[in-house]
Amino acid sequence: MPSPLALGLLAWVLALGLYADSTIASQAGPRSEAQLAPGWGPLSYEPPEPGHYRLPPLGEAADAKVLDEHGRTRRLHAVLGGRIVLIAFIYTSCSDINGCPLATAVMHSLYATMQRDAELKTRLRLISVSFDPRYDTPERLRLYARALRGDGDDKDWSFLTTSSDADLKPLLASYGQAVEVEPARSARSADAFAHALRVLLIDPERRIRNIYSASFLHRDLVLSDVRTLLQEASVPRPVPQQALEPSPDGSPNRSSDGSLDGNDDRLSGIGDDPSGHDAEADQTGSGSLGMRRGAGALADLPRLASEPQLGLPPLPVPSDNPLTAAKIDLGRKLFFDRRLSFNETMSCAMCHIPEQGFTSNEMATAVGVEGRTVRRNAPTLLNVPYVERLFHDGRESSLEQQIWGPMLARNEMGNLSVGAVLDQLKQLPDYDGRFQATFGRGPSMETLGMALASYQRTLLAADSPFDRWYFGTRDSAVSAAAKRGFEVFRGKGRCAACHLMGSDHALFSDQRFHNTGVGYRRAMGDPHPVQRVRAAPGVHLEVPRSLVESVAERRPSDLGLYEVTQEPADRWKYRTPTLRNVALTAPYMHDGSLATLAEIVDFYDRGGIQNENLSPLIQPLDLTEAEKEDLVAFLNALTGRHIDRLVADAFAAEIGDRRSDPASAASHDSGGSRR
Amino acid sequence: MTGAPTGLACSWAFLAALLALTGVIAGAELGGDFRLTADDGNSFSLAQTRGKVVLLAFGYTYCPDICPMTMAELSQVVKALGKDADKTQVLFVTLDPERDTAERLDLYLEYFDPRFIGLTGTAEAIHDVARRYGVRYEIHRDPNTALGYTVDHSTDIYLVDPRGELAAILPFGTPIGRTVAVVKESIEHGAGNGTSK
Repeated sequence: MPSPLALGLLAWVLALGLYADSTIASQAGPRSEAQLAPGWGPLSYEPPEPGHYRLPPLGEAADAKVLDEHGRTRRLHAVLGGRIVLIAFIYTSCSDINGCPLATAVMHSLYATMQRDAELKTRLRLISVSFDPRYDTPERLRLYARALRGDGDDKDWSFLTTSSDADLKPLLASYGQAVEVEPARSARSADAFAHALRVLLIDPERRIRNIYSASFLHRDLVLSDVRTLLQEASVPRPVPQQALEPSPDGSPNRSSDGSLDGNDDRLSGIGDDPSGHDAEADQTGSGSLGMRRGAGALADLPRLASEPQLGLPPLPVPSDNPLTAAKIDLGRKLFFDRRLSFNETMSCAMCHIPEQGFTSNEMATAVGVEGRTVRRNAPTLLNVPYVERLFHDGRESSLEQQIWGPMLARNEMGNLSVGAVLDQLKQLPDYDGRFQATFGRGPSMETLGMALASYQRTLLAADSPFDRWYFGTRDSAVSAAAKRGFEVFRGKGRCAACHLMGSDHALFSDQRFHNTGVGYRRAMGDPHPVQRVRAAPGVHLEVPRSLVESVAERRPSDLGLYEVTQEPADRWKYRTPTLRNVALTAPYMHDGSLATLAEIVDFYDRGGIQNENLSPLIQPLDLTEAEKEDLVAFLNALTGRHIDRLVADAFAAEIGDRRSDPASAASHDSGGSRR
Repeated sequence: MTGAPTGLACSWAFLAALLALTGVIAGAELGGDFRLTADDGNSFSLAQTRGKVVLLAFGYTYCPDICPMTMAELSQVVKALGKDADKTQVLFVTLDPERDTAERLDLYLEYFDPRFIGLTGTAEAIHDVARRYGVRYEIHRDPNTALGYTVDHSTDIYLVDPRGELAAILPFGTPIGRTVAVVKESIEHGAGNGTSK
């Protein structure tokens, strides 16, 4: 006579025998449906079609200090890494199979899907975070990861814990994960946790887009949501808006950013304010126009260029083009002259915008005549005479020659030939005699370059709060945060390895070329299949990328220094830019792909972007959140003192324009601009 | 990747050894040998399984759901392992020694696979093993059920490699194919590289 135990088990085994499939879901058949969460089995309904519904942002994903499975301290934001992330809060010794084991099983199923789907593998990341630091040590998580992931990439599925309850509590609070400790009932048992399962979907902008409970956590539902997020196009990130209004006492208002003295950069700021572009009530408006009004004042540029500035080495001036007031004046006139472009619409100053750090804060990559696509970010001209090899790829060696690059580039000023530019100059009455008086000869390939180079040699901006503290030994010039940030800069952050400093001056550049992975990502990264296009304030259209590409100009490919040297190892190497005035010169990197200083710091903290030619100097830094903030404070203290004089001078300069009124154009120049 | 210079490799090995040592001293090391009573009534030491991959499960025979599912899974894993099943040993440690006698464990496991070994012992001995492997369990007295009480327990399966080291922790719900792969990896690793630690 079999025992009741045997009968019961027999029923089990028979039932299980019918389900030969290898997933636990199908083995769960004998259990009543009510007891097992839907995530354990096949979905009983069709998942929604990706892209046919919206996932409104539910909040920001907070940062926190965590430990990874190798025991390294990481910032959670760094682990999120700009991917779509599914994050589950678990503990490995959970006894409720509709809780943590369900989350882990769904994660494993997604992980397996990722290994078969190239797009998901590069776009999705799974993170399991333990709220049980006492049991779930990095070692235990490593054993867990080995079972689930084998030798797979921890970037696909990361297991995190915390080093203490002190680190854990704010993390749980910021993600709304309530965990109640159920105290042990006897000496033999351990505390357990009462918790509701919460699994969160986070988009690449670190916004929470969905929260799954046990009833809705299912691989197919998560996949639909992930694919919906993938279809959202990458809208360019807004450039941070700096307050443009002077503070009530009329003093510069940037003094909160690490420069206790404040700086003379009140006239700098972006033109159009991109914040609020998603709102229907948004109106575009140029901050520049308001700033320009009455602010113009010609400066004594020759004198400014001859005054040594704290933090800068002596100004290099080629012996065959000494600086003269006449050359600087002529160069300035040329710099703001729209008639020097193919269709007489575009001047140098339209990409190197004076009030935007002599670069463009509004464009990640520049736009040339007729809206033609330029593949790179306009570099700042502030302190450009110190740059030894010009352009992001270093292909030119002197400013005198460099100016012909943008003049003749089809997608920049678009001139067809050197001769066409010179012929134009020769027939513009306001240039009549100017070249002769300045150089003793007329406009030529050489003299045009000499004049423009001379103006650019006056665009010097140092004597920053940092310089006054570090080189000028004025202890109060910068904040304590900026000082700590400087220690990170030349210590743990290893920034100074490339952004070099000298003993009595600093250019913050080694003048060399490095692969940080940004170019690699631009060239090899998978574009989103759908692009989000802003049609009007508050109105966005989601347009298939193929459609956009059929009408858009394709962005030219970009291989960096390789284009100059043809050396395969030089692929995607770009020049180390100076960090001076970096607070004014967003967006960053050669393609303008990073919008803020904080993003830059995060980027290098992550160790750049992996590729076979990644510079060995670039490695994950494990910076703390405080260290990152300090670094940004330091970078904000590098804004030069006399920038407003340069900007006001630029505002006062005449703009060479075929349509301009001769009366106003002639305000400080003898000739009118109209032929 | 290029190979590290020999000097560096040596110092790394030294550091690793040092870290392992401090781990043991601090009691941080998970797993390790233990001695309990097998379902045939004889004393059983984990060291007896050296050379085999051990799948170590914790539970109790009155368990209404998770344990039978886990054990049924493990029987499928062993079946799928084919001749590698000889190099694998499933152990089931009861967390309910009060009711799970050796005899009862033997009867229970026979339905899944006669090769499975059930282990019991004093409450203290079992508690010690559970603690060392990081198993959480709690007895819930409930006079309203026919069983009198249930044992709430964590559901992971522990993989001990042929050298006796805890090599992986498999959560409940790990697909059978994945478990088989991890076991086979461990068998190969143990056979080819038995002296690395």
